[in-house]
This record gives sequence, structure tokens and C-alpha cells, in this order.
Amino acid sequence: MIELQNVSKFFTTNKGRHYILKDANFTIPSGKNIGILGRNGAGKSTIMKMLGQIEFPNEGRIVSDKSFSWVMGVGGGFQGNMTGRANVKFVCRIYGQNKQKIDDAINFVKEFSELDDYFEMPIKTYSSGMRSRLTFGLSLAFDFDYLLIDETLSVGDARFKKKSKEALLKKIERCNVLLVSHDMGTLREICDAGIVVDNGKMSYYEDIEDAIKEYAEINKRAK
Amino acid sequence: MGTRNSWQVQKSVIYALFLREVNVRFSAGKLGYFWVIFEPLLQVFIFVAVKVMLFGTTSSLDYPVFITLGFVGFNFFRHVVDQSMGAFAANKGLYAYKQVKPIDTIISRVLVEFLVTSIIVFIFVLFGSYFGFDMNVQNLGILLLSFIWLALFAIGFGLFTAVLSTFYDSLKKVIKLILSPLMFVSAVFYAMQDMPQGLQDLIYYNPLAHFMELLHSSYFFILNDDFVDYTYMLLWTIIPLYIGLWSYSRLEKRIISL
Repeated sequence: MIELQNVSKFFTTNKGRHYILKDANFTIPSGKNIGILGRNGAGKSTIMKMLGQIEFPNEGRIVSDKSFSWVMGVGGGFQGNMTGRANVKFVCRIYGQNKQKIDDAINFVKEFSELDDYFEMPIKTYSSGMRSRLTFGLSLAFDFDYLLIDETLSVGDARFKKKSKEALLKKIERCNVLLVSHDMGTLREICDAGIVVDNGKMSYYEDIEDAIKEYAEINKRAK
Repeated sequence: MGTRNSWQVQKSVIYALFLREVNVRFSAGKLGYFWVIFEPLLQVFIFVAVKVMLFGTTSSLDYPVFITLGFVGFNFFRHVVDQSMGAFAANKGLYAYKQVKPIDTIISRVLVEFLVTSIIVFIFVLFGSYFGFDMNVQNLGILLLSFIWLALFAIGFGLFTAVLSTFYDSLKKVIKLILSPLMFVSAVFYAMQDMPQGLQDLIYYNPLAHFMELLHSSYFFILNDDFVDYTYMLLWTIIPLYIGLWSYSRLEKRIISL
């Protein structure tokens, strides 16, 4: 269970405060794979980051006894001048893993990401697709209660997309996922329930189809 | 996986960052190892050569040893401050992992600086004994304590400037501007007692000069600590460290999500 208690989150703009969440009291039930929907700038990624504890509410708090992965996104999480291998090692070390586990993780990520020679090259030489292959492979090497995924699945060529979707479906037999995506196909395939973020509010939908419908409504209204 | 306490987590983060920093530092270009060690050797060599050419070798103390000690201390301070100021921004990408806190990046960089300084001291000692310099220390205990105090001063000042320069970019530029010429007014390669009165009064305001005097006086029998004001040093150690830690603890979240 993830509980948001009186959570407010805003960004200060020239025109005053722009609220992502305003005094939200909200419970996200356990054991569900949840898609997060919302228009651009509605705050989906910020909410993900708050769950991953790298962004913090301005007021209130988020309580959970579950473990969360880092936010798997297209850009972040890697240091450009480190090689793919060094980055994998680094992440293993901050999770306190021993040498044996680090070696296993390196072998796994190297094979899964299909980076070949690029695995030994600095991340800054990677394309965005290569980066997300690395970050996705790395996250599969760990065990979390929740995977936080921000659009990563939509990168890479068709074959790799299929492969990572299969790997993810296998992974979520043992854990849950919180997924931000604009791709309704992916959402339907992976998620059971949905959260729609709009105008400083979060709404929970038991069925992902209802969330998708509501999201379509919001889009229609915006036009 | 959620069974580790926060200290264990921080320990493994600092360890991981430390290895990463060592890797980066020693492989800057293909000559990483070479420069880390030979830069300070070259620096000392140049200063000794200039001194001998200009003033001859009349000084009653072993000048190369004197100047080496000064540079080791000064460079440690300069590098700690410089590295601390850059630490938050350089590791920005790694805050994506909630375990990594900005202060860990400073701690690991300071540890790397300790490692580098130890290697350099070791090489200087090898050099010195090979060429037969008089390296007798008057009071090794006090010398080590002085160095630890200098380290505390450097860490406090480094943290202070790191936090503030995150929000006031011009502070970083000012500090960088000050750090290079600072060497000339910090009693690094001369003793305060040999300076004219007017200059002494001026340099006396520089806290680093007090630290250098303390290092030198604990090493050499013929020097004393007349120009060391311990209270002044203490204030310069405690105040930046306190403000640095206090403002860091208040601003940590903002630094992470910057």
C-alpha cells in the first residue's frame, strides 16, 4: 500500500504556484499494476519521482512499506563519462551487493541490453535507445516491490520492444509496476488499474479501461 | 532488500562513489597516474629552483623540505575546496538513485584527496631519504594533529562553499579566483618571521597562513608558533562547518531535485 497524506506539490512559476497535487489524500492499493495517465505537464513524472524519493512533496508525506526501483526514464540515472559496465557496477555497489552478485548483474545486463562493444564505452556516446536498453536491463537485475517506469518501453526497435515487454511481463509475476505512458496499447497490456492526473488531482480507477476513457474525456475537453 | 540501515546504505554509497572518483581521477587522459604524482613534485622543484637562483642557499633550514610541507598542506586545502564545490553538479545524474545523497559525493571526494595526498607524501619521503635531506620531525604528534585540523577546516569551508555556490553561482567564480593567488599570501613557501612587518600584519588575517605556520613550526626545530592564533583558527573551522552542515540539512532536497 502506498499512502499519500495531505500531499501538496507545486512548482513556482512567474505566474505563481503551479500545483501538481493539491492537498491530496490518496491510497494506492497493493498488488496492482497501475498505469498513470495525464496530459503533458500534468505532473505524471513528478509523481513518479516522488514515489522514487528523488523529488519531495512541498507539504504532507508519502508513506509506504514497499521498495521502489529508481525511475526508469529515457534520460537520467547514468553518469555520462562512465562506461556501461562502470554504471552497472556503481548501481550494484550502492545497493550493497557482493562481488559475485555484481558479476552476475554485469553478465545479465550485458546480454540483455545487447550493447556488445558499447558496454565498455562511456554512456555519453550512447543513443537514447541504447541508454534505455541499459537502464531497463539493469532494473531487471534487481528485485523490487514496485518498478517505476516512465515511458521507457516506447524506445528501441520493434524487436527489442517486444523483447523488453516479454521480460517485463515475466518480471511482474513477482512484482508490481507503476507505468507512465501515452501508449494505450502498452497500458492495456501491462496494467490492471489506472490513475489519471489532472488539474492538481489524482483519481483512481479500478479498471484501466475506465482510466483510459476518462483520459480521453480530458483530452476532448481540452480541445 | 529494504533491510539495510541508513548507515550501511550510506557506507556502500560512499564506497561506490569513492571507487568511481579514483577511477576518474587516475584516468584523466592516459597520463592520469603520472600527473597526480608529478604535478606536486614539479611544483616544489620549480619553487626551490627559483628560490635558490634568487636568494642563494643561505637559509638555516632545509628549504626543499620546508616548501614541500607547505605545498602538501596548501594543495590539500585547495583541492578539497575545489573538489567540494564541483561535487554536487558533477554527480547530478546519480541522484536518480535515492540512496545517493549530495553530501556523500563530497565525503567521497575528500577521501580521494586523502588517498592522493598520502601517496604524494610517501613519494616525497622516498625522494627525500634517497637524496639525503634532513627530514627529522620536531613533533610528529602535533604535526599529524595540525594536519587533521587543517583537513577539518578544509572540509568545513568546502561544504560551506559547495552549498552556497549551488544557489549563488558567482560565489563559485569568486572562490576559484581567490584560490590560485592565495598560495602567495598563505605562508606556504616562506616563514612569517622572515616577512617585513607590514606584510605580516596583512597575512595575519588569512586563516590558512596560521595553519601553514602551525604545520611548519611542528616540523622544524628552529621555528615556533608565535604567528599562530589558535582561537582564530578555531573560529574559522567551526563557523563554516556549522553553517555548511546547517544549510545543507535544510537544502538537501532542493539540491537533489535541482
